[in-house]
Amino acid sequence: MTTGAATAAKAEQNEQGLGIDKVQLQVLADHSLAAADAMASTLYRTAHSTFVKETEDFTCGLATPQGQTFAAPKGFGSTWFVGLDYGKVIGLIPSYEEGDICITSDPYSGFVCTHSPDIHLWKPIFHDGELIAFSVGHIHNTDVGGAVPASLSRTLTEVHQEGIRIPPTKLFRKGELNSELVEVMLTNVRVRDQNWGDLKALVAAMNTGERKVLEMAGKFGVDTFRNGIQALLSYSEQQTRALISTIPDGEYFFQDYIDEDSVGGSPCRLALNMIVKGDSIVFDFTKSDPQLTSSLNVPTGGFERHTLLLVGIFHAFHSLMPDILVNTGMTRPFHCLLAEGSVLNPQFPAAVGMRSLTATRLQDVVFGCLSQALPDRMPAAPAGSISIMNVLTSDPETGRRVMAAIDPLIGGGGAMPFSDGSNGSGGNGGFLKNTPVEINEVEVPLRILAYYLTPDSGGAGRYRGGLSTTLIFKVFAPHSVITARNRDRTRFQPWGVRGGRAGKASSYVVNEGTPKEQNLGNTDIFTAQPGDVIRITSSGGGGFGSPLDRPAEAVLHDVRQHFVTVDGARSEYGVVIVDGKVDEAATKARRAEMRKQEGEGHFDYGRGREAFEKVWPKETYDALIERLRQRPVSWRFFLKQRVFAHLRDAVNVDARKLHAAMDHVESEFPQLRRKAEAAE
Amino acid sequence: MTYRVGVDIGGTFTDFAVLDDANKLYTLKVFSTPTRPGQEVIDGLRALKKRYGIEPSKVSYFTHGTTVGVNTLIQRNGAKLCLFATQGFEDVLELARLRMPDVFSLFSLRTRPLIDREHVIGMRERILSDGSVETPLDEDQVRAAVAQARAYGVSGIAVALINSYRNPAHEQRIKELIAEAAPELYVTCSSDIWAVIREYERTVTGVINAYVQPRMTNYLTSLQKALRDEGVSSEPQITKSNGGVMRAELGKRACVDVLLSGTASGVTGASFVAKLSGFGNIASLDIGGTSADVALIIDGKPQFGSGEDVGEFVLHVPSISVSSIGGGGGSIARVDDQGVLKSGPESAGSEPGPACYGRGGERPTTTDAFVVCGFLGQAEIAYGAVNIDRAKAEAAIGTLAKKMNVDVRDAAESVIRVAVSGMYAGMSKVFARHGTEAKSFTLMPFGGGGPMIACFLARELGIETVLVPATPGVLSALGGLVSDTKNDFIQTVYEMLEPATLAALESTYATLAERAMDWLRKEQGHPGEPQLTYSADIRYAGQSFEIETPITAEWIKKRDADSIADAFHNEHQRLYDYCDRKAAVQVINARVVIAAANPKPDFPLRELRKHAAKPDRTVSVYYGGKVHDAGLFDRAKLEPGATIEGPAIVSQSDTTTCVLPGFAGFVDGYGNLILKDGTLS
Repeated sequence: MTTGAATAAKAEQNEQGLGIDKVQLQVLADHSLAAADAMASTLYRTAHSTFVKETEDFTCGLATPQGQTFAAPKGFGSTWFVGLDYGKVIGLIPSYEEGDICITSDPYSGFVCTHSPDIHLWKPIFHDGELIAFSVGHIHNTDVGGAVPASLSRTLTEVHQEGIRIPPTKLFRKGELNSELVEVMLTNVRVRDQNWGDLKALVAAMNTGERKVLEMAGKFGVDTFRNGIQALLSYSEQQTRALISTIPDGEYFFQDYIDEDSVGGSPCRLALNMIVKGDSIVFDFTKSDPQLTSSLNVPTGGFERHTLLLVGIFHAFHSLMPDILVNTGMTRPFHCLLAEGSVLNPQFPAAVGMRSLTATRLQDVVFGCLSQALPDRMPAAPAGSISIMNVLTSDPETGRRVMAAIDPLIGGGGAMPFSDGSNGSGGNGGFLKNTPVEINEVEVPLRILAYYLTPDSGGAGRYRGGLSTTLIFKVFAPHSVITARNRDRTRFQPWGVRGGRAGKASSYVVNEGTPKEQNLGNTDIFTAQPGDVIRITSSGGGGFGSPLDRPAEAVLHDVRQHFVTVDGARSEYGVVIVDGKVDEAATKARRAEMRKQEGEGHFDYGRGREAFEKVWPKETYDALIERLRQRPVSWRFFLKQRVFAHLRDAVNVDARKLHAAMDHVESEFPQLRRKAEAAE
Repeated sequence: MTYRVGVDIGGTFTDFAVLDDANKLYTLKVFSTPTRPGQEVIDGLRALKKRYGIEPSKVSYFTHGTTVGVNTLIQRNGAKLCLFATQGFEDVLELARLRMPDVFSLFSLRTRPLIDREHVIGMRERILSDGSVETPLDEDQVRAAVAQARAYGVSGIAVALINSYRNPAHEQRIKELIAEAAPELYVTCSSDIWAVIREYERTVTGVINAYVQPRMTNYLTSLQKALRDEGVSSEPQITKSNGGVMRAELGKRACVDVLLSGTASGVTGASFVAKLSGFGNIASLDIGGTSADVALIIDGKPQFGSGEDVGEFVLHVPSISVSSIGGGGGSIARVDDQGVLKSGPESAGSEPGPACYGRGGERPTTTDAFVVCGFLGQAEIAYGAVNIDRAKAEAAIGTLAKKMNVDVRDAAESVIRVAVSGMYAGMSKVFARHGTEAKSFTLMPFGGGGPMIACFLARELGIETVLVPATPGVLSALGGLVSDTKNDFIQTVYEMLEPATLAALESTYATLAERAMDWLRKEQGHPGEPQLTYSADIRYAGQSFEIETPITAEWIKKRDADSIADAFHNEHQRLYDYCDRKAAVQVINARVVIAAANPKPDFPLRELRKHAAKPDRTVSVYYGGKVHDAGLFDRAKLEPGATIEGPAIVSQSDTTTCVLPGFAGFVDGYGNLILKDGTLS
């Protein structure tokens, strides 16, 4: 395929102006949106799996011949892939013909697919023999085979364990289904009918996209269409650049952590140095952790504008500029720097299945940089952990096995510069629905004892962070397996800003307050026995502004709503409430006292992170990453774990102690030194 | 001679449609009196007497749609309430279903509940999913809670407990206890209103009902009195969201059933007119000053759903599906920082309204663009209530023209294009959701702005035919008049569809049918032939959504699981393009709808006399970058058989129809104006 030098030149020219009548542009934008919506409707309507219908973990869109997504549905499907660039993967197929539909589910070919359950399709659309666009899209299959049901687990260490991977290839050749390929795929998965059903739905969506594009080309003329779709990208780019121009030039650094880099492991740092200059931004992620020997890696192929690196931007910029056109044009002003062999740019065959946990925290890191740059406009951290609970149990009477998703655990939105955060869910985790208590009780032999918003869980502030949810339930059958994937934020809390306090950490406890009490932390899989009572609480959103500036009446109101307790009002807001009324004098005195203790920093990170950083200051962690990077990729995670184990009881690790520890650990492996010497 | 009167009370105007025994239709418009609800009905009755000599005592049937309930909800000025919920689940309203309205935005917030958490009191009780009582109701605690509610100064209490769809005993007992201790309080039990599984949906339905109840009750009581005082002896009926009618008296309890009163009867009216003229698939398009709503009528049947938006809330009782596709004629146009022209979502509303209304609005709206292009302002509109100020429209659009560096007429035409393309995107979504194509539909515009924009939108959608009804202004009023008396009944079943469960299913349906008959005969007092329609909400085991599947009384009686399952598989195939005939099937809810026919008008089909209509005069319109001569026609003078050629403007007192170049129109035997796009095919 030749994309044509002329088209490229035209695209270049559109970088300057939009190169098309701006009324026509808006009309084309509406029609493209309608086309993408029609594709998503087709997919949503005809997909077989409940997973697709409930989580809307799919995308549909239209891309230019160069593979840039210019139209995505609004309010339908996943928010993560709207900036996806199919350019590389398109180039991996030597030539295209009418009726072809291509497929891949390999996270290491073209970096469109980011874990093996995601099946991506792209279909070339020809008008009078000329390739004018692609239909594109993906769907998350519940299972694609591999070591564990549903194919995803933190315990996996190589992509080969994460199910079947399809390299970029043709699923349809000139309209003819490659049925041998389909048979190979379906032979390797656990629920073949469901995958086949979902794949058919995605194919139907591709065909809907083709039909809609040809209608547009017919209606507006192919020249207008060809130029127009480039202009849509430029338009989005211009809007994005205009917004970036309002951000003061400078460097902004932020780091945040995943609680565990593997099951029961040490923290994983994600760090971003954001360099704003004029209307463009450099994202330097090179101070992030090395590649992990767990499935938390994010496969980006080192691509400087990979969609998963910019999801935080999509959310933040849409919030700041609600009519921004969301497409790949948004990614153009960004340039990301990634270290090879790092958690954000892992080398084959690192496992990547659970990359969504990391990608979620990565959004917090982007929000943290933007918060420093736009302190009056950005919210505090959202809860930051999006997990779905599944239960596999049996009916105590009939013995019937039941497996069901019972509820998502999301937690509160971050407090905004003008409003409390939303309770229970919100921020970047607002796309999931809960399951009604009544449905859970009739479907699954368990009893829900309570489902409520957790008092005092929102970060205190002038504006309070959104509250977390608490779910308490009891199981009745032996060996009931409770799965809670993507759990995090039990140690590192969602941060507050400008005097606002961090939201409360998440927690997961069995048989609380009994001799059998057990703290489960971030456990993915737990086997419960009859009579076990399980409580799971998500994290709360961070607060915005000093809690001492929150009007006492507003705190009293929160107390009446059971959002804040009388104790919480006193200890965190300095508001003394006696018999349902504010004690003005006591409040004044207490607030004056508390004001003296208030910190100065832009962020409040909460105790978990403060304690960790007392032991591991930023500079020490920088030095750790620097040292690890000098070693071969396959050694990095191993050495990190050894060093953390070695320093387990340290109270403060400075550079000297770190180097001493590293030297000590490395001395156990003379082969490392020999290799390094040889390299010199 | 007796008269049947249908009334639709809108935001600005109240429409009357009156039929006499000879099927002659009389129409009338009066101003609405939002501050004195009910007064407009009196004004209208007096005007009917004055203009047509219709005596109130000769009114044999009176039905009306009201916006009192929906306005109470939108303006949030309803009752102060307490909610009694099960302990441990008091946050049910605040949690809702978690999903945020805008999943992209970090600033998205869910709707604030109608009852603050402060006023939710947890009841010590628990019923399990099989209906058994795990924790008996603590009656002393209930009494204490009632005292607390009184101390809060509430006027009503909503009661919604976990699993009450299965066993309403605790809710009912609480109702009794409230009646004993505080007889002055309104009480709504969720199990009385819509006894269906899913605690949030059932609770919010009960809460909305309780919230609008005092206002609805006062309004209906004063209307009943006013009608009696005027001499109308027949009992007033009220139109419902489900497209039916019931006695106004019942609307004092089942308030949530009448929220979409007017919108639903508009669609009923549209489907009646369409059927009469032989059209099966209709997209009805109701455009007013601030709203543009679309409903699909497929094979003559309005589409039903639950999950209709009412202001910030979602309605979970069966309603005719109507989707909003934009902001109507008042949508404000602007040029963004990148120089791209945008339409809406901001609206000039009815106050100050478009610049051309001369009521202080200065920003350019869609309506102003129509004035600048010459489509509006050529004849009197809105019964002379509005004067079009062309200079003001040009000044407003002129500000855009300057930014866009084009002629004012080109700017105006661009505003129309962008507004239309926004509606195109909204409408495409509606068609896509129903898995159907715009091409197979006829567009039926009504409301003040529908006929103005219909040809533009039809051309964008590839729709060939536009049907402008004879009386687009009174379609909702007429809809109420032709509606059947109708009510919905539901019971959650939640059983696998298999022979062992069919006996229970049969008895569930028998109970529902009995309740339905009681409703028709005893509560509604309707003597007519009852029509019972059976359906079941069914899904494949493991799915989280169900499909309402029509079934027959015979299958239930014969315990014919296969036929029921087949009906579901076929329905699944129709909606989702696939089915799995081997998979296990689960019945979630049993539904029964009872309807009894009310007399329908038999409009005479008038003889067609084919002739080219003569315009009153010729005016200039701007379309496609060119000035065209367009005939200006008076709708009242267009006889059956008359033909017109676009470009043309057809003016009538409540709306203006724009006929674009390439469209040809003719008037059918019922007086409908049918426009066909000759540039297609």
